[in-house]
Amino acid sequence: MKKTLTYVLLLLLVLGTVSGCAPKTEAPAEAPANDPAEEPAAESEPVVEESIILATTTSTQDSGLLDFLLPIFTEETGIEVKTIAVGTGNALQMGRDGEADVLLVHAKADELKLVEEGHGTVRNDVMYNDFVLVGPADGEIIYGNDIGAALAAINEKGLQFVSRGDDSGTHKKELGLWKALSIEPAGEWYIEAGAGMGDVLKIADERQGYTLTDRATYLALKDTLQLEVVVEGDEGLFNQYGIIPVNPNKGDMINEAGALKFMDWLISEEGQELISQFGVEEYGEPLFIPNYGK
Amino acid sequence: MEIRLIGTRKKYRNTMVLDIDELTVPGGMITGVTGSNGAGKTTLLHIIAGLDDSFEGEVTYDGLPISNHIRESMTLVFQKPYLFRRTVYDNIAYPLQIRNKSKEKIGKEVLWAAESLGIEDLLKKKGHQLSGGEAQKVAMARALSIRPSLLLLDEPTSNLDPDSTLRMEGAIRRYNHETGATIVIITHNMEQAERLCHNQIKLELGRMI
Amino acid sequence: MDYIAQGFGEAIRLLAGFDSEVYRIIALSLLVSTSATVVASLIFVPLGVYLGIKPFRGKRIFSRTVYTFMSIPSVIVGLVVALLLARRGPFGYLRLLYTPAAMIIAQTILVIPLILGLTYNLSKNRGTPLEKVSRTLGGNRLDSVILIIRELKIDILVNVATAFSRAISEVGAVMIVGGNIKGQTRVMTTAISMMNSMGDYPMAIALGIILLVVSFGIHSLIYSYSQEEE
Repeated sequence: MKKTLTYVLLLLLVLGTVSGCAPKTEAPAEAPANDPAEEPAAESEPVVEESIILATTTSTQDSGLLDFLLPIFTEETGIEVKTIAVGTGNALQMGRDGEADVLLVHAKADELKLVEEGHGTVRNDVMYNDFVLVGPADGEIIYGNDIGAALAAINEKGLQFVSRGDDSGTHKKELGLWKALSIEPAGEWYIEAGAGMGDVLKIADERQGYTLTDRATYLALKDTLQLEVVVEGDEGLFNQYGIIPVNPNKGDMINEAGALKFMDWLISEEGQELISQFGVEEYGEPLFIPNYGK
Repeated sequence: MEIRLIGTRKKYRNTMVLDIDELTVPGGMITGVTGSNGAGKTTLLHIIAGLDDSFEGEVTYDGLPISNHIRESMTLVFQKPYLFRRTVYDNIAYPLQIRNKSKEKIGKEVLWAAESLGIEDLLKKKGHQLSGGEAQKVAMARALSIRPSLLLLDEPTSNLDPDSTLRMEGAIRRYNHETGATIVIITHNMEQAERLCHNQIKLELGRMI
Repeated sequence: MDYIAQGFGEAIRLLAGFDSEVYRIIALSLLVSTSATVVASLIFVPLGVYLGIKPFRGKRIFSRTVYTFMSIPSVIVGLVVALLLARRGPFGYLRLLYTPAAMIIAQTILVIPLILGLTYNLSKNRGTPLEKVSRTLGGNRLDSVILIIRELKIDILVNVATAFSRAISEVGAVMIVGGNIKGQTRVMTTAISMMNSMGDYPMAIALGIILLVVSFGIHSLIYSYSQEEE
């Protein structure tokens, strides 16, 4: 009996492994049907020798946008994109250290500084999404469009607020908002998580508190949370994404050509169009608004 | 093979466990080593076997110091059999296998050794499935299969019933008679020593008496 | 509560339908951890056996050092390997960072102390009498090592299985040197961690089930084998 069980187990694992080595290209769920039939085997694609390392933020990855866009990019150009999702601060540092080929983050001021200091070749707008303040539906902050007022109220009443606390773009945005109100958030009500957006949302959910989040991540996790959008539409909640190819003078391992190709693709009509389609089917609204050149 | 020990002393934690000025084990004979517990019998045997090299003094084998060649022509049977977890056949064959003997030669020698001890019917059994007495016989057969010219035995019949004891003694005697090998046997049994051995070494507290 | 039940349902569907992404992740986990364990074992099992029976100075310091490294946190191993393989690092020119090869390297380093330590210990305690017997039957050190490995193979296998479990369950090292890249360096542990963060419970649960099955499965296999050998 034990022997049979063992062999069945082994068989299943072998079967699984075989099917796991199946084609890499899967039809992305929301992709427009632009390639007729998919090549049944990834082997018939151009052998992917070229690859680029893309440093981006955890919230960008968690939104699922890259899972949607990158396979299309790879199929068209044969360039493999290795996405390393870290906090914004970390991503920028990877740019400075030359450990990545291209950066896609959302901290415009820091991005421009990076290019100014010579670490990046150029910086381009790619898309934006917005931040929203989420919190309990029946909480003390009533739905509105004034983020300043909401944050001031939270501070005054000492309501639970969860901060990213990790030097990410979202974190910087949050700190900027507090600063604009001349408030230094401190106290038991202010929690610094040091975690990605997904985790922070869960913590906020757990404690039925407030947090600042990008709309995309919130939408992706909405069904699992008992938090509602409490403030949106304020100009101060605008979240701009930029792309920066890393300066090739950092070393001969920087894939400048690949990085530029990626940037050009993202800001091309096709790339921008694809961005605007992402999320529509599933959430009824696009998660990101393409705005290169606008 | 004649063995000589000169000025052989061994200390173990400030106690002199062996203290021998001069000792000769005559070649071709069965020599018994007797004495009470802790007399140094096992220590002596281990030194002769080359298992122990932290001692003072000299040990020679036909006048020569120990070498790989000499090691390959001697075997020791421990008090506990330590059989391997494989068939009795493979146990007995082990010394032949590590000397890279041919399959036919191994087959012949294993059979011969098994027959000497009367254990041919055990050949297919697994080493860890034997009784104490059976195991001891297999251990002996294993030591004999390469026909050593020096055979060292540490109380080989202690676990055997009287009948098997006499058979084992017979096998030892036969082996000595057929091959002229030197045999050193530690025994507690004074009658066995009288029966079996050509001469005896009596030890007490590490010294010869 | 029903998102858990729903998650389970989806998970079973993903597994039974041989969802390609899930199985790709499983396959990579098995590949990485198995390779690491095999490489470490092939070299360090014989070495551990040999060192266990050979008298040498500083055996105690050796034991202590190896035992300390046995429980080294996997993130530290990941960090060290990542620093070495980074572009600026001494081995950056190999371009191994964020590849399965780097993950195998990290996990190999992670399990080596475990294999060496456990085997050394086993050899010292149970291999020594075997070594004596082998020697008194004319064997040299190599013969003794082979004998010990054959006689104690079940115990050695258990140690190897332990090392494999450590490898396949760890997340720190493979996360840092692999980057959890979809389709390339994503393994069960990093995927579960990320999917939990993203709220994708069905996938996380599916992988969690498999991870448990593999962990239990390996030990169960070894157990059956050891029973057969009796």
